[in-house]
Amino acid sequence: MNRSISLWGQRLYRQFSLMLANQPKLEYYLQPLLRWNTPQLHPEYHAAKVVDFRWETEQMLSVWLEPASSWAGFKPGQHLLVTMLHKGRYISRSFSISSSFAVFAQQKQIRISCRIQAKGEFTQALAAEISHLTHLSISDAMGDFVLAPDSPPAEPLVMVAAGSGITPLWSMLSSQRCWTAPVVLFYCVREQSQAAFLSELTLLAAKQPLFELQLIETNAAGRLDLIQQLKTRANFSFSKAQYFFCGPEAMSRHYKNELIAAGVSASAIQAELFGLAVATSQGPVKQALIMLQGKLTTVSAASGVPLLQVAEQQGLNPAFGCRIGVCFQCVCQKKSGQVLNLRTGQISGDGPEQIQLCISAAHSDLHLEL
Amino acid sequence: MKLTEQQLSELAAELDQVKANVMSQLGEKEARYIRRMLLIQRLSAISGRILMVLGFVTPWLWGLGVALLALAKILDNMEIGHNVLHGQYDWMNDPVLHSRRFEWDIACDAGSWKRTHNFEHHTYTNIIGKDRDFGYGLLRLSNDFRWRLRNLWQFVTYLALSTLFQWGVSYHELAGERVFFGKKKPDRLNSVSHKELKKAFFGKGARQLFKDYVFFPLIAGPMWLWVLAGNLLANLIRNLWTSTVIFCGHFTKDVHTFTQAQCEGESRGHWYYRQILGSSNFTGPRWFHILTGHLSCQIEHHLFPDMPALHYLTVAPQVQAIAKKYGIAYNSGSFLRQYATVVARIIRYSFPGGKATTV
Repeated sequence: MNRSISLWGQRLYRQFSLMLANQPKLEYYLQPLLRWNTPQLHPEYHAAKVVDFRWETEQMLSVWLEPASSWAGFKPGQHLLVTMLHKGRYISRSFSISSSFAVFAQQKQIRISCRIQAKGEFTQALAAEISHLTHLSISDAMGDFVLAPDSPPAEPLVMVAAGSGITPLWSMLSSQRCWTAPVVLFYCVREQSQAAFLSELTLLAAKQPLFELQLIETNAAGRLDLIQQLKTRANFSFSKAQYFFCGPEAMSRHYKNELIAAGVSASAIQAELFGLAVATSQGPVKQALIMLQGKLTTVSAASGVPLLQVAEQQGLNPAFGCRIGVCFQCVCQKKSGQVLNLRTGQISGDGPEQIQLCISAAHSDLHLEL
Repeated sequence: MKLTEQQLSELAAELDQVKANVMSQLGEKEARYIRRMLLIQRLSAISGRILMVLGFVTPWLWGLGVALLALAKILDNMEIGHNVLHGQYDWMNDPVLHSRRFEWDIACDAGSWKRTHNFEHHTYTNIIGKDRDFGYGLLRLSNDFRWRLRNLWQFVTYLALSTLFQWGVSYHELAGERVFFGKKKPDRLNSVSHKELKKAFFGKGARQLFKDYVFFPLIAGPMWLWVLAGNLLANLIRNLWTSTVIFCGHFTKDVHTFTQAQCEGESRGHWYYRQILGSSNFTGPRWFHILTGHLSCQIEHHLFPDMPALHYLTVAPQVQAIAKKYGIAYNSGSFLRQYATVVARIIRYSFPGGKATTV
């Protein structure tokens, strides 16, 4: 009953806003007025004040943010979409929160940590402008890759972080209030100088007997042999543990397959993918028929290339956000044809559906409506 | 003078270059400009509506309110709405300024506008039988059309169209699709069902009517009649202004038309050539250009419909020089002179005969 009333209220408000301001929400109409002096704030996201920043390593930048009170908080391990205004245009990327829940509870601050990519538009812009940035825009926290701080795990935890994949895991570890089961973290980096949060991790290992840190320097020691490492441990049973992976998709897939072969159930394994959706295969070029504003454009879409990139190369400007399949800004209507989801490898059906342009590639000839 | 395919492809390359020079530089300047326009538009809309109610202090305040509301509607429709709906600011990735979501303060539904204007009119500019914007199916503007009795009083029809321009624009697609009257044409794209067309037409129209003639008069209490009259007047001013600007861009004396046969499988160069000959510019001070939404540079707008409009003035001399080089007429003049030729054209073709303007 209450829900249907609030649904009616929402509909009424939408109709009222459309009537009065031709916008789905009055806020959009007032935004040019209220935020005339702070265009860097994206109208659909929460404002976050930049409080401080520091370089964790040569390539990893940490930024401390104070989200506006409208921001609902997070669970350790979750990520959010960060948006900045760069050369007149909103660009976004998703980052895991890398700070403890306790800091948010006490000081209302969160930290994001990002590896500056040589070819990444967002991270390059962030690194260049951080010293005079006053605000960023952030989305709600998202994702199921979480470890709640109040419900301690009953079973041992095995965590594997590769490079910047440490960020959500460090948030989980530093948020943990009571320790009831052993946790081992395999932290894979090329060399020690590239390991962020190393002093904090070492301190935690010294303080907390149930936590064990294994730093793997892959340049010297080679790739982590997870099965071998776990086999040699006393009192360790593969089937009585929970697993958390964070790093490139290939790494997670590799360890996941190995563990399943060793008898671990897939439900005990959680993985967070880091890194951009990249072209996966070379193949014949498909035709995509793109309908934009009533005008049909035919473009050639090479397989494995995200349709967003294909459209932009044609001079079209579809709405976009994170470009890695997180934020759903670039969702558009597929009228017909099959697309390959570059993140999951799944091939869609042939009928009409909503797809995310940034992580979809043509699998057959397509008809899209942007 | 006829251009060879070779010349046309050189023309296309030169114009592409003019466009690329601007588009590669888009950034903070354009973003700041359009945000400032939005700010001015919001300020004038809100203050205009408030001042109208203060008309009981002195009617001058009411008059100022009407002028500000008319200004807000003109900016919303011309410099902001028309240009945003062309996708000129899509690159900013701002939901408030993205063509996919933008809706404007006019009776015409944005989706319908994008189909009839962005697609039909801008693709088939001035092709007789394809571009229904040439005369809007109401006016005979060249001898390419058979004379009918109703053309005798078409100057009155023109005045009526200008007065009710927003409704003409909003009904335009339904007229083309013969939703209510007439026999369906076989060559229509039919991308949207008649049901959806009607829903958008009545929905948007009703919201606009309710806002200006029910909601704001109601909350004005005893000043309701002043507010109602003021809103009517502001809408009228906007209608006359937009109609006049558009007529001066397309129906001046020397604007050419084309046959469907000429444009069958045309090259990009020919499309450019047609855009230059199918449009006309007029001159004036900077604020004047802004009020026209830079449609005072109709030629540049038709060549580069997705270029942020504030650049039309800067590329105009380059375009004019290129047109001159290829011997293509570049139709420009003062506002009053251009308008006089529009009036003359409407009157001339009220009567049988006259020149065919196809090239």
